[in-house]
Amino acid sequence: MTQQLSLYEPKISEVMKNVNKVMVGKEEVTLLSMVALLAKGHVLLEDVPGVGKTMLVRAIAKSLDCEFKRIQFTPDLLPSDVTGVSIYNPKEMAFEFRPGPILGNVVLADEINRTSPKTQSALLEGMEESSITVEGSPVPLKEPFFVMATQNPIEYEGTYPLPEAQLDRFLLKLNMGYPTAQEEREMLSRTSGDHPLTKIRDVMTKDELLDIQNSVKEVYVDDTIRHYIVDVVAATRDHDSVYLGVSPRGSISLMRAAKAYAFIQDRDYVIPDDIKYLAPFVMPHRIILTSEAKFEGYTAEGITQEILEHISIPVQRNRHE
Amino acid sequence: MRGENRQQFYYQLILYICGFLLFWEWMRPLEKVTDTQNITVFIIFAAFSFFISFLQVSWWLSMPLKMLGLVFILDGLFLYERLFSKEWFLIIYQQFAYNIDLILAQQWGEMTAFFRSFLFLVLLWLMSYLLYFWFVIAKRIFLFVLMTFFVITIMDTFTEYNGQWAIVRTFIIAMIALGVSSFSREMEKEGISFGGMKRIHRWILPMAAIVLFSTAIGYASPKPGPQWADPVPYIESAVGDSGGNGPGGGSIQKIGYGENDSELGGAFMRDDTPVFRVAAKKESYWRVESKNHYTGKGWEDTMEEDIRVANGGDLGIRTFTDEVETEEQYTLVNFNDDVQLNKLVYPYGAAEVVSYPEQFQFLVHQPTGEVETQVNQKARQIPGYRMHIDVPSYEYDQLREAGDDDPREIRDEYLQLPDDLPGRVGNLTEQIIKDEDNRYDRVKEVENYFSTSGFEYNTEDVAVPGESDDYVDQFLFETQQGYCDNFSTSMVVMLRSVGIPARWVKGFTGGELEDTDIELQDGDSYNLYQVTNNNAHSWVEVHFPGIGWVPFEPTKGFSNPTDFYVDTDDLDSSSEEDNSEETDTPETESPNQKQEIEEDFDSDESGGASEEGGNFWNYIGLAVALAGIAIVLYVTRFRWMSAFLKRRYKQSEDPATYQNAYHYLLKVLDNKGLKRKPNQTLREYANDVDRHFQTNDMKVLTHHYERMLYRNEQQSDQWRKVTELWENLINKALS
Repeated sequence: MTQQLSLYEPKISEVMKNVNKVMVGKEEVTLLSMVALLAKGHVLLEDVPGVGKTMLVRAIAKSLDCEFKRIQFTPDLLPSDVTGVSIYNPKEMAFEFRPGPILGNVVLADEINRTSPKTQSALLEGMEESSITVEGSPVPLKEPFFVMATQNPIEYEGTYPLPEAQLDRFLLKLNMGYPTAQEEREMLSRTSGDHPLTKIRDVMTKDELLDIQNSVKEVYVDDTIRHYIVDVVAATRDHDSVYLGVSPRGSISLMRAAKAYAFIQDRDYVIPDDIKYLAPFVMPHRIILTSEAKFEGYTAEGITQEILEHISIPVQRNRHE
Repeated sequence: MRGENRQQFYYQLILYICGFLLFWEWMRPLEKVTDTQNITVFIIFAAFSFFISFLQVSWWLSMPLKMLGLVFILDGLFLYERLFSKEWFLIIYQQFAYNIDLILAQQWGEMTAFFRSFLFLVLLWLMSYLLYFWFVIAKRIFLFVLMTFFVITIMDTFTEYNGQWAIVRTFIIAMIALGVSSFSREMEKEGISFGGMKRIHRWILPMAAIVLFSTAIGYASPKPGPQWADPVPYIESAVGDSGGNGPGGGSIQKIGYGENDSELGGAFMRDDTPVFRVAAKKESYWRVESKNHYTGKGWEDTMEEDIRVANGGDLGIRTFTDEVETEEQYTLVNFNDDVQLNKLVYPYGAAEVVSYPEQFQFLVHQPTGEVETQVNQKARQIPGYRMHIDVPSYEYDQLREAGDDDPREIRDEYLQLPDDLPGRVGNLTEQIIKDEDNRYDRVKEVENYFSTSGFEYNTEDVAVPGESDDYVDQFLFETQQGYCDNFSTSMVVMLRSVGIPARWVKGFTGGELEDTDIELQDGDSYNLYQVTNNNAHSWVEVHFPGIGWVPFEPTKGFSNPTDFYVDTDDLDSSSEEDNSEETDTPETESPNQKQEIEEDFDSDESGGASEEGGNFWNYIGLAVALAGIAIVLYVTRFRWMSAFLKRRYKQSEDPATYQNAYHYLLKVLDNKGLKRKPNQTLREYANDVDRHFQTNDMKVLTHHYERMLYRNEQQSDQWRKVTELWENLINKALS
């Protein structure tokens, strides 16, 4: 395990360095995207158009020696546009499966909330089950499989908000945010010549990525940490302002993310700091507030923060023994 | 950087000097309250030790230096042998052997002056280290300042030591020390350079101004008087005799017969040491001397040195004229061996010393009646003597008719009063005597006033007059409790205030009847009395023109053994005598009964009522002491626990120990004010701690702990190293 750590840690930081060549001031988003990638999760990026969501995904895809696919979701997109269709090949006298964009390694699902729930669910099924069903028969997805979906804030017109159950499928939900003035100036200077995206090349092979993904699973999670995760998650379910708390899938996701995060930090065990750091990205999109709470201006992010401030950190072995 | 170091050095120097000055304040009272002599030498040694400590030379240099200083002082003070000679070492060895034996036998009080001085010097030596640590290393000055104040106030309250100026001095020194230390600590904390000597006035001036200003304010502002009476008599009465009657009480105490009466007040300690034994026909008071000059605090003898040397025969110390009826008797006085009174004790009417060791000479100071015994011009205690006495009996009518026509020299000497004697003393006396028309009855009224007006005989709860108090005024109007000195002095002063010449007489009461009907060489039978230090007494003599000095006894519970009689034509004079004694001095009782009364007093004061009280207070005292110890242990719990745990943690290496050690550190830090919030992860907390101490230790330590805790690591070769970090942090948190 420690060997793998020392082996892969430079690779991971190289990927992030690569991405940060393209993105200005988005180190955290980059890091978190890596967390999701290594934890075999998917990312939902929510923000206004034009802040670099697509650029981020493309930068990541380009840094990896992986097949990059992009789906631009529109209201008239059909599920088969995502999964692919079988077309009759007169020469062969048979139907031939033309794979859709979901059968790539890194998939950018742009503006996912602009399409109908039917089409959305075609993607989301694949994300959860690592396979899709085409004309009744299952088709396995490629490995690695990493979806970065972007969505416009739900207040925008002409959107189909993702149902809660489907939001749950994303490991992390991230916000890009506007760059600072200085970052924006830097951005202008970088893009004045050739786009930096064209200059970066892949630094990690597909096999390496798969290896790392498997190694991440090995990261040690102590019982104390598991207790802490459960404490935090359970607190969302008991909270007064929360209509629906974080599901057990949420707990698992939190743990997986923490493992990946620890791995990136060159550590083969999870510490409470990891949980504390990741919970605000893992939990809020899994929490549904009561209408009163929403009306009073509470947000899921705020409640997550509040919970983290109230749950005490395990600092002793025998606490639960 | 060098300049900065030099400045740091100056600050340390100032601090350390302040520390020494404060410590000096601890030593000042020693001369007053203990029998320590040569205090200067000790102070010089302390200064020397402090100086050496400040130089911070290594121990192999400082130890011998201090040791040398110590040896020289001991040599100079106690040893006459040549330094480092064979005999010298022998003496040292003997001293140590003897005193160590005493220590083992727990006879602390017996230790020789040499050894006590040695121990004291060692203490000073250690103090120099301690203060160096407190003032220069830890920069924790306040505790010592506070303790200094406590010591001074306690010394001031419970001993003769007057801490008025000590408090002012301590205040100034403490303010300077605290100012400098706070300044230097602040600079250190903020990492600011001291900025050169040029700008030194920027903080020196304000500090000096503040110190001067607050000192001036403190000195000039009115201070309320004590909110309660002097606590010493109260505490002593509450504790009773249970504390033992050793000289450990610390307040002004009188034991037995003393020479110096210039500051009266305070408890009268019981002391059963026998002084002398007499064979006499009947009980009498044993006069030693009288005093004439009342200062407002006590008595002094200001009579001209009219000293006459007598070799036996008539001493000329008769206090009455030939008008007084006398009866010839003999008495035998035998002093105890170890008594150092160097004076004659004699009953009223002593005419001449008839047999005594012939090398003795008598120095008679006629006005006071003091007879010093000498051998070859040196005061020596006479072992015993036989006296011829003409026991006086005073006739009432003679006294009543004596009139007020005192000779001038009597009026000059024995009507003296201090100018600031409160007027109410005289007013009170006028009130008391207003119905009487002759001197004797007036004196009698005043004498009786004490037994009828709620005065209390008390040897323990006795006030010492304050700066502005008059001893008599305080007794008459405020405390109303005391022993013979209070009563007798008051009576003399009261009489003088109404123009009756009176003087204050010291001596012994008749003592305890040990045996009756013992036959001496002259064939007569005598009673045998034992007089102890407890019998030291003072009473009053009043002048009657044409008659002389007549003794009176104002002290409650005591009776005047002097005979008074009514001159009638009735021949049955003896029965008359008895009668008159009963009518005039109602408390007059036989010697035996009188002793019982005295004992009653004792049992009342210390035996009966306060036996239980004493126990109660003992328990309270014990509880307070235990609580004090508990508090001290609690306050210092991290210190002693750390020392204890350090050892334990070093020995064992299992994760549980590690965890305990780490959590103990958290507790210590918490106590220090660096509290970990429950939602704070260890890393976040470690960052806070490291920021506070400006180290990296906590992060490293926490990193290792995390591995154990969250990675479930059972063994680590790093733990040894980590122990060091842990110790560093504990030390930092405790300093």
